[in-house]
Amino acid sequence: MKTGLTRLLPYILILLATLALVWIDKPFWIQLAIGVAITAITALAWDILSRTGQVSLGSAAFFGIGSYTLAIFEPLIGLTLAWIAVVVVCALAATLLGLLTLRLRRMYFAIATLGFALSMQVLVVVFPDVTGGSGGIAPPVLADGDPRWQLGLIGLLLLAAVALSDTLLGLRFRPAFFMIRTKPELAAASGVPVVRMKIFAFIVSGVLIGLAGACYGGLYGYVVPTDVFTTNWSVLPLAIATLGGMDTTIGPLLGAIALKALEEVARSVIGGTGYQVVYGAVIILFVIGMPQGIVGLLRKAAALAGRRTVAGEKKKERERHA
Amino acid sequence: MPDTASPDITRRSAQPSGGAILAVEDLTVAFGGLKALDGVSLSIAAGEITGLIGPNGSGKSTLVNTVSGQLPVRGGRIRLHGGDVTGRRPDRIVRAGMARTYQIPRVPPTLTVEEVLSVPLLYAGRDRHRLPGLGDAAAIAAFCGLGPLFRRYCGDLSVTDLRRLEIARALACAPDLLLLDEAMAGLSHEDSVEVMGLIRNVHEQGISIVIIEHLMRVITSLCHRVVVLNNGRLLAEGAPATVLADQAVREAYLGKGFAA
Repeated sequence: MKTGLTRLLPYILILLATLALVWIDKPFWIQLAIGVAITAITALAWDILSRTGQVSLGSAAFFGIGSYTLAIFEPLIGLTLAWIAVVVVCALAATLLGLLTLRLRRMYFAIATLGFALSMQVLVVVFPDVTGGSGGIAPPVLADGDPRWQLGLIGLLLLAAVALSDTLLGLRFRPAFFMIRTKPELAAASGVPVVRMKIFAFIVSGVLIGLAGACYGGLYGYVVPTDVFTTNWSVLPLAIATLGGMDTTIGPLLGAIALKALEEVARSVIGGTGYQVVYGAVIILFVIGMPQGIVGLLRKAAALAGRRTVAGEKKKERERHA
Repeated sequence: MPDTASPDITRRSAQPSGGAILAVEDLTVAFGGLKALDGVSLSIAAGEITGLIGPNGSGKSTLVNTVSGQLPVRGGRIRLHGGDVTGRRPDRIVRAGMARTYQIPRVPPTLTVEEVLSVPLLYAGRDRHRLPGLGDAAAIAAFCGLGPLFRRYCGDLSVTDLRRLEIARALACAPDLLLLDEAMAGLSHEDSVEVMGLIRNVHEQGISIVIIEHLMRVITSLCHRVVVLNNGRLLAEGAPATVLADQAVREAYLGKGFAA
């Protein structure tokens, strides 16, 4: 059973880190934290979807749709409505993709979502009048370009993602989601409206990634298709959630921190583009070495420590009796 | 009605239900060109335990999968409580009062017994005042002999306990009619005797039951009535002793082994 403190840990972690970084106001650390927060949101969103058995390789599609929707709609309907448009368009795209891939299982689902992400990039280039083509587009700058406020806003979005993830790990959703993943027929035979639940997870996931993408586009007020629709944004959420620990909220958070830290270390030690190879190799080693992710490793450590205390107490007990 | 049930004299029980909780009328289900069910009509009486038997490939599982909404119907009607449920979604059929178990229970290993039972309790949306002893997850688990395992992970359960859990999960749907798909396959003699006791207890709660079973001693000791399928058609129905003594049934299914 989870205690209150472990449940609150992610919220405290995010709040304290964000406040501390805003207070210290070192540009490098703020940029790093923004990167961690955005990738953490996409990883949480990916994990939420995967709990229903839908292993997506299409996160980049929603990431890009988010930033492009904000950029396209802001001049037409204003900033507030454009943000609402991001939510609506991502929800629609998620519903559509969810319905199209409903009957696909595992690998076929992953390939279909990957295809969706790749075709979105092509679509942007094909309609340059609307999207600016390969030359890119200019979304409204987030928080007037003040990195501290940007971090604050993205931190809030991350908190919302954490709260959503926790809600979906509660008794109302977690067992039903897992049952859909293991055997959808069994879920249906238990009264779960399987299609509606899968689409619901897809919408939550897609909207979160889209909002993260819109924030990302707003960091500098300029994005090109290869920036947001790149396969990188499809693979990264999966890698982070796996590295950190799937089916948890803290896992994707720890995974995002670990991965960004690894990236920075590799960049400064190796440099150039060669660092990406080393960085990729290290991720693979980690995933092979700890299939349950960082969270699994911590649980094992906690179990070991627990056993030691139990053993210690038994020893004391014996000594007392002796 | 004569004592020997054979195809020509079998009652085609498409009568509008008075005592029937489930009525299947001229049901046809096909996979491509192969008719797994070919114009089957039968009715399941409320308050009874009905045995559904037949050789492998006779259409037993197809019938269960179809009436529970998991296979598309090519022709015919399915009525539950007299209401048409043909072509309804599985979760809707559960809500209408019919639950089923699976022969091979595949539950998420990282869920506890309590969490598995919470799913039908939350989603089946059935009034449970009718089943006072089965009001919540703990009561249902205790009823099915899973009390001590309530907070255990499903990944740690034995095959027998998984079978019990599967029955418990179906019970948590608060059904009027429960379809049990080979609940005893692969169990030891002692375990199957226990599960039979459990099925009797479920029946005493006022739940009508259909069991698919290969073990004849289970059928003869539990069932009020038996329905025999062969090649996707209704071969016979009636009291167990009568049906099992029928020549056509013995030729199609039981063979020499049963007589010995």
